[in-house]
Amino acid sequence: MTVLASALAGNLNPLHAQETNEVEQLKRQLQQMQERFEKTEAEQKAEIQALQKEVELLSQRQPVILTNPPAAPVVAGAAANAATNTVSPGLFQALSDRVDSVVEAQKKILPSEFNPAIGFVGETLFSYRDQGMDATGSSRPGGFDVFQRSLELNATASVDPFAKAWVVANATADSATGEATLGIEEAALQTTSLPGNLALTAGRFFGEFGKLSNIHDHELPFVNRPLALDTYVGGESRTDGAQLNWLAPVDHYISLTAGLGDQFGGDRPNPDNPGNYRSFYGLNFWGRASTYFDLSPGWQLETGVSGLWDPKTEDRGGALVEPNGVSTYTEKTRRLAGVDLKLSYVPLRDNQFSSLTWGTELLFSDNNFLFDPAGAPNAPGQYRGDVSALGLYSYVSCKWSRRWSAGFLFDYVQSPQNHDDETFAYSPFVTFALSHWNQLRLQYTHTDHDAASGLQPDDAIYLQWAWIIGAHSHGWNQR
Amino acid sequence: MKLKSIMPALLALMLGAVPVHAAKIRVVATLTDLADLTRNVGGDLVEVRSLATGIEDTHGVPMKPSFVPLLNRADLVVLVGFDCEHAFLPALLEACKNPKLQPGHPGYVDCAKDISPLDVPKSTDHSEGDVHPYGNPHYLLDPVLAEAAVKTICAALVTTAPEHQAEFEQNRDAYLAKLDAKLVEWQAALAPFKGAKFVSYHEHWPYFAARFGLKYFGTIELKPGIDPTSRHIEELVSAMKSEHVPIVVREPQFPEKVPALIARQTGATLIKLPIMPGGVPDTDTYIAEMDYIVHSFADALKK
Repeated sequence: MTVLASALAGNLNPLHAQETNEVEQLKRQLQQMQERFEKTEAEQKAEIQALQKEVELLSQRQPVILTNPPAAPVVAGAAANAATNTVSPGLFQALSDRVDSVVEAQKKILPSEFNPAIGFVGETLFSYRDQGMDATGSSRPGGFDVFQRSLELNATASVDPFAKAWVVANATADSATGEATLGIEEAALQTTSLPGNLALTAGRFFGEFGKLSNIHDHELPFVNRPLALDTYVGGESRTDGAQLNWLAPVDHYISLTAGLGDQFGGDRPNPDNPGNYRSFYGLNFWGRASTYFDLSPGWQLETGVSGLWDPKTEDRGGALVEPNGVSTYTEKTRRLAGVDLKLSYVPLRDNQFSSLTWGTELLFSDNNFLFDPAGAPNAPGQYRGDVSALGLYSYVSCKWSRRWSAGFLFDYVQSPQNHDDETFAYSPFVTFALSHWNQLRLQYTHTDHDAASGLQPDDAIYLQWAWIIGAHSHGWNQR
Repeated sequence: MKLKSIMPALLALMLGAVPVHAAKIRVVATLTDLADLTRNVGGDLVEVRSLATGIEDTHGVPMKPSFVPLLNRADLVVLVGFDCEHAFLPALLEACKNPKLQPGHPGYVDCAKDISPLDVPKSTDHSEGDVHPYGNPHYLLDPVLAEAAVKTICAALVTTAPEHQAEFEQNRDAYLAKLDAKLVEWQAALAPFKGAKFVSYHEHWPYFAARFGLKYFGTIELKPGIDPTSRHIEELVSAMKSEHVPIVVREPQFPEKVPALIARQTGATLIKLPIMPGGVPDTDTYIAEMDYIVHSFADALKK
C-alpha cells in the first residue's frame, strides 16, 4: 500500500530508480500476509484440538447419540438440533456453536478472503510486423518482437459498509529499454449504499464511455484495442475524477452515467495543461446512457450513447507539426460522441460452449484546433478551426466449444486532425482457452494507412498469451 | 404541463419511489429449485422470479442486464451459496444498487448457511480446476438438505414479514411433510441398488449419492470447469470397465458426444438428468425433478 500511496501522492510516472524498492516492499508485504495467515491457521487448529478434547471428555462421561443416518453427508444445523442426546441441550448448543464458529473460520482459506483480495494478470505478446516503427507509427519495433504488455496487480475490498475500493497497478515493458515501468491504472472508491439507485465512483478509474474503452487490454475479445478507441479516446478511458451512475427505477434496464475529471484516456497520461490556475471548464466531462433488450431467451441486444467534452484542452498532446514541417496546430477543445451496439446469441443451455457476438461502435470526433501557419507562438495569421472525423470498429466472434472461439475485427479511423487521413485494418483472430485463467490468441492484422499519414501498409501476426493467478472476479463491465 | 406539477413525479422517480400495486414480498431466486421452494413456503404472499430457467449450468447463468431491475426492486435474493453463483451473482448484486440484497444484509438469503459441505478442497490452487473453496455446492440434489434450505427461506420470509409468520410456518411444515413422504418413496425406489456406481460430466452428485447409497465413481471433466483430455477419457473408460460401472450421467447443459462415447465404450447406460427443475421436460417443480432423477436411475439400474 505504501507503494501505491506514494505513487498516488506524488509521481505517477515510471519510476525506474524506485522499482527495486517497490518490488521488495511488495515481497515483504506478501511475506507478512503469509505469516499472519499461518499464525491464524495454527491458532485455529489448536482451538479445534482443544474442543475435540472437551467433546471426548464429555462423551466419556455421558455418551452422545446422534440420530443422523450413516449415509447422511451433512449435519445441518436443524438436524443437529433434532438430535437425541443425553447431554443437556444448552451445553450441546454451546459446544455446537463454538465448533461451528471454528469451522466457519477454517473455511476462510481463499486468497480472496484476505483483505483485500489480490490477483495478478500477465500478458505477453509475440509478434511479427513486416514494417518498422517509422512505417507503422507503432511504439513497438517491426520484425520479430516479444512484448510483456502488462503485469497487473489487482487488489479490491470493501472499505466499510458504505463503499468498496480497488487498485490496479500495471507494470509494462518499456519499448526502448525493455525495463518494467510501474504505473497506477486504477485506484478508486465506489459507494455501495447510496439511496436513489445511485453509485458514486471517485479516484483514478476507467470512465464510462462506450463498451470497450473501460476494460483492460487482456479482457478485449481481440489482441489490440480498436484503432478508433486508441485514436479518439486514447486507449483505456482512464481518468482522475468522479462519476455518478444512476439506475432508472423501472422494470426495463436503463443506466445513466455522468462524470468529470482531469484527463480522459490512458495512453496520453499527461494531464491537460492547467497552467497556474484552472477554471471549472478546464476539466473533462463525459456521460453515457445505455439500455438492454432481451430479444428472445438467447438473443440479447445492448446499446448505448456516450459523449465526452473537454472545453479547454490547452494543447493536449502538445503542438503537432504539419507535414510541411513548419505549420503547427494545437488542440483547444475536445468533443467526442459515440454510439455502441452489442448483439449476442448466448444459448441458455450450453452458453459455456457456444455463443455468437457482434459488437460495433461508431465514434464522431469534432475537435477545435489553433492553427499556426508560422509555427511560432502568437505569430500573426493564427486561426481557430474545427476538424470532424469518424471512426468505427465492428467485430464478430463465435464460440463453438469451451476452449475455442474465433472472429473478425474491422477497423476504420480518420485522423482527428485531418479527416482525409484514413486508416483501415482487418484482423481475423482465433482464441484457445486452456482454462478460464490461461488463454492463447492468434491474430493476423493487415493495416492500410493513407498516404497523407506518411505511414506504410503493413501486415502483422500476434500471439497473445494471457494468464491470471489469485483472486479474479467477473465484473459487470466484462459481461 | 407545468414544470412545477411534474417535479414531484420526477423526484419520486429519481428516488426510486415508484408505487407498487401489490404488497407481495418480491423474491429473486438464482436457480429454479430455490424459486420452487420459496413459492411453496411463501404461497400467495410472495412474487418469485428465478434468474435461471432450469436449462442452464448452475455456474453459468448468463449475466443479463434485464436481471438488474429485478434485483433492484427485490426484497430478498435467495441463493445456493458455497460460491455456486460466483460467475454471475456478485456482479449483478453490484450493478443492482439494492443495499438490502448485499451479503450480510437480511435480504441476502444464503441457503448454505446451515449446510456442512462435502468435498471442501484442501487447496484452492487452480491446478485443481475451478474448485469451490467452500465445498461442493450441489447439495440441493439431496432432499434432506433441500429441507434445510426450506427452513432458511422460511426464516428469511418471517424476518421480512413477521406479521405472516404463522402462514409461512404452516406452508413450510406442509411442504416438509410432503418432501418427507417423497423421500421415503425415493429411498425405497433406490434401496435395491445400494452401492451402484456411476459417473457424471460435472461433480453434481456427491450429496445425492450419499443420500441414496450410490457410489459416485468419478467425473468426465478432468477437473471442475476443465474439459476432459483424451488421456483422462481413456483412464476413465478403463477404470469403469474394470469396476463395472453401469451408469453414465449427462447433465443437459454439457455436450453429449463424450458421455455417449464413454457409455458406448464401457457398455454403460447413458442417462440425461436435470440438475434443477426445468432442466428436462416435465420437471417444473423440485419434487417433479427429484422424481425424474430417482426413477431414471432406478430404471437404468434395472436393465
